[in-house]
Amino acid sequence: MKRLHAGLWLLVFLLSISHALAVQAQSPAIATKAAGPFSYDVSQEVTLSGTVSSVLTQPAAGMIMGSHLLFVTSSGPVDASLGKFALLGDDALAVTAGQQIEVTGVAKIIKDRQVFLARKVTAGSTVYVIRNKHGFVVSPQARERATRTTPGEGQ
Amino acid sequence: MNRKAYTNVVLIFPTLTLLAISFLTGCGSSNSAPAKSVAATPSVTPVNSPQQSAAVGTAFAAPLAATVVSGQNPMSGAAVIFTAPATGASGTFANGTNTETDTTNANGVATSTTFTANATAGGPYMVTATVSGGTTAADFSLTNLADQVTSTTGPSQSAAINTAFAAPLAATVVSGQNPVSGAAVTFTAPATGASGTFANGTNTETDTTNASGVATSTTFTANAIIGGPYIVTATVSAGTTTEDFSLTNTAALVTSSHFSFYLSGLEEIDDGPNFYALAGSVTIDSTGVVISGEQDYNDGDGITSPEPSGDIILGGALKADPTTGQGTLVLVTNNATLGANGTEILGVQFVNSSHALIIQFDGTATSSGSMDTQTLPSTPSGGYAFTLSGVDSGYNPVVMGGVFSISGATLQNGLVDINGEVDDDDAKPAEVATLGNAFTGTVSAPDSFGRGTITGTNLDGITGITLNYYMVGPEAIRIIDVDANDSSCGSAYGQGSGTFGNASLGSSVFGVEGDPWGFNYAAAGQFTVPASGTFQGVDDNDEEGEVSRASPISGTYSVASSGYGSLTIAEEDGPRLDGVPEGEEKRGVSVLGIYVTDPALNLSDPNNTVTGLGGALVVDLDERLTGTGLLIPQTDTSTASFAGNYAFGAQDFFDGKFWEFDFVGQGSVTTGTLAGTGLVSDPGGFFARPGTHTGVTFSGIATPDAINVGRYTIPLAITLLGGNPDDLAVVIYQASGGQLLLMDENENGMSLGSLQQQGSLTAMPASKGAEAKVKPKQENN
Repeated sequence: MKRLHAGLWLLVFLLSISHALAVQAQSPAIATKAAGPFSYDVSQEVTLSGTVSSVLTQPAAGMIMGSHLLFVTSSGPVDASLGKFALLGDDALAVTAGQQIEVTGVAKIIKDRQVFLARKVTAGSTVYVIRNKHGFVVSPQARERATRTTPGEGQ
Repeated sequence: MNRKAYTNVVLIFPTLTLLAISFLTGCGSSNSAPAKSVAATPSVTPVNSPQQSAAVGTAFAAPLAATVVSGQNPMSGAAVIFTAPATGASGTFANGTNTETDTTNANGVATSTTFTANATAGGPYMVTATVSGGTTAADFSLTNLADQVTSTTGPSQSAAINTAFAAPLAATVVSGQNPVSGAAVTFTAPATGASGTFANGTNTETDTTNASGVATSTTFTANAIIGGPYIVTATVSAGTTTEDFSLTNTAALVTSSHFSFYLSGLEEIDDGPNFYALAGSVTIDSTGVVISGEQDYNDGDGITSPEPSGDIILGGALKADPTTGQGTLVLVTNNATLGANGTEILGVQFVNSSHALIIQFDGTATSSGSMDTQTLPSTPSGGYAFTLSGVDSGYNPVVMGGVFSISGATLQNGLVDINGEVDDDDAKPAEVATLGNAFTGTVSAPDSFGRGTITGTNLDGITGITLNYYMVGPEAIRIIDVDANDSSCGSAYGQGSGTFGNASLGSSVFGVEGDPWGFNYAAAGQFTVPASGTFQGVDDNDEEGEVSRASPISGTYSVASSGYGSLTIAEEDGPRLDGVPEGEEKRGVSVLGIYVTDPALNLSDPNNTVTGLGGALVVDLDERLTGTGLLIPQTDTSTASFAGNYAFGAQDFFDGKFWEFDFVGQGSVTTGTLAGTGLVSDPGGFFARPGTHTGVTFSGIATPDAINVGRYTIPLAITLLGGNPDDLAVVIYQASGGQLLLMDENENGMSLGSLQQQGSLTAMPASKGAEAKVKPKQENN
């Protein structure tokens, strides 16, 4: 019985290899990965609290592309990248200088300077979703659709 | 006194001579009448026809002969002097001069040697024959004929403007009755007005007669001016005679062609920017009139053409410069929400008569795509590779690519890679890319415009999406997602009859560009295949302004027998983007799905079956990098091949207001120097004046990369009319002299585009004229 059991495992193992080879022939092994300087690793997220200095619709010299939120924490000023959609649409990020905020994101070094890829901005009771957990910037249309009761139903 | 005496002697001497001759002759004749003979004066008359003609430089058929009689009696032994004109049209005897003396025979006939016409055409002229003592002369009327040229083909023909006359012009040259071989015949058409050109591109050419005396011109093509009849002369060089051909240029023969078109980009309407896609089929007659058509427009966010009918194209016009192939296509549709009250304007740049690069050019949206002659009817059948790019039902960017086959109404053996944000933030488990998904579908038969549907698929990984397709031909199909809440478009290309493997990939250039709605990036490069399944080369990357240039790359790839495969750029060898420190990822573009197509198919110009053949479609499978592109065999990296006239275009994403601008253009490349003119669609304002622009100049000098042969860098200056140049840092990768990829790599913008060598535009179905005017509020020139 014990030997039979071991034989079954062997058979299963061989079948598994056979199946894997068959799959590989049709579908070469491809593995996507977090790639590039703009990659977003949600496990590295932190939340910073601070006061809004300014909101830039276009980057200043040396900044990465897209809009930016500049705020000051107890540790110093922070350049938060908002991407290209945060300031667009009916539910665009609406904060003003002097306002207290919390920003959740991942700190990166791009173009030899620190930048904070913002995923969420919380101002009072309002939470603005800037990026999703893969680092995709969230468009106004996507934000609106994410609030629907039947998300993902598009057809 | 002395002169008079001499004259008398001269007059007396012949008389005495004749008396003596008569006496001697009379000794032998029983009927002699000496007194009468002495009194007779010799006279000269022509023996044969006094009128002859011969071609210049040739002998007259008969010698000259004259009879001398004295009274009724022929005079034997009389000296007859033949004399031809000393100048002008004349000839020579055997002695090489214009005169000779011959003696009469017993019948009183003096015969000249052969008389040969000199080189001067003309006549009739007189050759005289005189005899001493005679009071009359015989005149021979001769003519020197020039070589004669006559039309061999019908002297009257007509052809539609810009088309070839049915028969070449042919003229026969004869000399007398004989054909003249080797004679030069010059055909000359009018230099201005209604006329035409020979194969040398000019209004005149010289051809040589064959053994039958026939000189035949090359094909004579009517120019663009209606008119006639006008005269084309055929002149033979050895003479002055000409033959006239009467030709007429008629109005263009009105025929019609079917074109499919597709574009994707960003729209201004519907509270844009939004992603949108547009695909359709349009019938255009040879004068540029849009006859009819169908199209599907979809932004997935409020504007989707009604299905299943789509939009009807009611009319419009194609106007393009016949020399450059640049112009506009106006499409009047029945969908008032599109363009300006239903009228869309596309900027077109023909590469050849059956292929054009296009952009939307009316300020309501901007996008890039292609327009190609359709072969109708065509039915999808066999194996295909495909890619799609757009937004999913969550309005997140998504790209997909793979392979499938079609048999009848069944789409089968589908295998698709999908890269996009298919979850909605925290509501579902994270999924970014799903690879090797099987799918099937149902394909409807195409209608008269080559339009059909593909339904029942699960291409977006969640639920089915509905696709419409437009046939370019059996091996090229444009595809558009027509669901109301998602949108995408792309192409499917045939895979031919062969199977695939790693050997399907050789030295190649590749390019990939982000979905307009996704992360903005572009990459282009080239590689060789040192061993099956491995590659090494160089590429350029621009990921939202983070740029790496001429970075070494290497890695592995695999291709299954279905043509489905992938290519991975090894991380350890990958370049580091500028400013990215140690410890951070070097670059984003590293894993590409590749889907191999028919090696007899040109992916940029699917009607081209001669050059730039083979390759693969590409989908970027890296997280967050939703892009598509293509891979083309690299067959010629010679800088000398990168020359001539090119059509070019690109879709450029730029920072600031998050927009794109699109351009198409045409120009020449001479020893690396590009000089061209084009159209720019820039609703987002990359340039100083947002809007649509004509007459934009493009210039720059392409510098070959000495290390990476086939790669060039070119600072491309783009200058709006009346403006200052904006310089883009552009890199070019040369697949061949006919096909090159260009990539803008700047910190504030990036693009992927192409340079495609121009072919013949003769059959381009367009009226000549200026580009269509766009809405005044959008025109900022």
